[in-house]
Amino acid sequence: MSAPTGERPRRPSPVASARPQRRPRKPPPQPFTLLGLVGLAAFTLVTAWDWVLGIGFNPIALPGELADSNPAMVEGLFNITDADWRADYAELLRTHFTDPDSPWLLSLDSRIGSGLVETVQIAVLATLVGAAVSLPLAVLNSRLGAPNRTTHAVIKTLNNINRAIPDVIWAALFVVLVSVGALPGILALTMFTIGVVVKLTSDVVDGVDLGPVEAARAAGASHAAAMRTALVPQILPSFASFSLYAFELNLRGAAVLGFVGAGGIGQAMNYYWSQLDFEAVSVIIFVYLVLVVIVEQVSISVRRRLV
Amino acid sequence: MIQFESAEVTYPGGVHALQGVDLTIDDGELIVVVGLSGAGKSTLIRAINGLVPLTGGQVTVGERTLPGLGRRELRELRAEVGMIFQAFNLVHRTTVLSNVLMGRLHHVPSWRSLSGLYSPEDREIAMQALELVEVVEKAYVRAGNLSGGQQQRVGIARALAQQPRVLLADEPVASLDPPTSHVVMRYLQQINRELGITTLINLHFLDLARTYADRVIGLREGRLVYDGPAADADEAVFEEIYGRSLTADDVLEAQGGL
Repeated sequence: MSAPTGERPRRPSPVASARPQRRPRKPPPQPFTLLGLVGLAAFTLVTAWDWVLGIGFNPIALPGELADSNPAMVEGLFNITDADWRADYAELLRTHFTDPDSPWLLSLDSRIGSGLVETVQIAVLATLVGAAVSLPLAVLNSRLGAPNRTTHAVIKTLNNINRAIPDVIWAALFVVLVSVGALPGILALTMFTIGVVVKLTSDVVDGVDLGPVEAARAAGASHAAAMRTALVPQILPSFASFSLYAFELNLRGAAVLGFVGAGGIGQAMNYYWSQLDFEAVSVIIFVYLVLVVIVEQVSISVRRRLV
Repeated sequence: MIQFESAEVTYPGGVHALQGVDLTIDDGELIVVVGLSGAGKSTLIRAINGLVPLTGGQVTVGERTLPGLGRRELRELRAEVGMIFQAFNLVHRTTVLSNVLMGRLHHVPSWRSLSGLYSPEDREIAMQALELVEVVEKAYVRAGNLSGGQQQRVGIARALAQQPRVLLADEPVASLDPPTSHVVMRYLQQINRELGITTLINLHFLDLARTYADRVIGLREGRLVYDGPAADADEAVFEEIYGRSLTADDVLEAQGGL
């Protein structure tokens, strides 16, 4: 068998072609972009201007205002640089964490200790339940994953409503429904987790490789089976990463929800706040910060392994 | 038997991908469909398993006739027709075995496919399919870590796991180098010969078509312009199908030297 000897198509000649070419002019920016920029500038001006709708914020006067504010408070902000103050604060922490007579001893049955543990429990459970529900919902929330337009529209609308409700409002709602404690906190943060994870994960669905989905359909797979085998493995790493992100947010959220009675360290903070015991409040903030940093490091290392 | 009767496919954009195609394919044939890109090769084979709906005429596969199949019947038809793709279409992140088990999806109950707990029988079928194309030792390797030739063999195994009566291959070697292309073509030929599976392969390399096909079908602008034994498909025939003189791009063996 002889290979044909035909030539490949020739490259265009480097000499100027007969037809003169014209370079196009750069198109002007979109009117929408211009309008947006002008709008944002106008909003900033309206807000900063000293009039009835202004917030009374003057960037030029700001440094002076800071200097003139309560010297004791300013000093208080910076006394972490003072070695004596640091020694005093360390002593305060030591006393309270180890002294059995201290009302806020850092033990599992103290107000602070149990509050911290409960905060972690709320965050973990809410993330687990929320993420488990989110995976199928994220598939249904995408055009590819929804079996029909109606399902897609309904899921999308429900999730938009869910995300429009802040977690504190969910918590207050569940406190009314199931009374105070950790349960309303878990339920509120579950809703919050669903909102975050479904939204972010379903956006990933639009970017997946459609080849395996076509292969599954060509093999006679049902819609659900095709999604499970061809789509879910592709979105799983993103889903895991978003779920861990939701966990980090939940840990912060779980600290605030106590103020509306939904359990966790926030409840202890609220208690000492109302007692005007600001030393205790400062200790709570301190140990909570340590906890957040530790948990976040764990989360980062887990994420690195997953993705 | 597969029978096209005045089959027409017009895409929503107004492109006439298939125009009045009449074609009969007997059981056990190995047919290569040739034509330039855009000639309707992919549409022709996708019309057989209903991935592309007909806009006119009909296609009969065995005892089922498209269009007019319900969702369940369409899935039954697809389960009997294995398909191999140019881009392999594997899920890269899962194992080779999981990919091959996708070929069993029509046969397993939902709880098994959704949980990923396939029966030992289905796993055995998948393993045997992998043995047939000699990549079984990669069963637990991530599919994305395989070379192109290995991935296409996994693609063949996935189609074989369906235990199909018909095998459709859409440009199965277009993403592979020449030696690997021959390996993949030989597997397809062997499957056709030994398992008696009716096989349709889209190709554009005329030497591959002549080497492996029993029968060559030529498409040009959606119309059937050639249908005859591979032995008779000489260069004049290909020039007629392509509507132009042949170039080095049309021959696989010429690719290596470029």
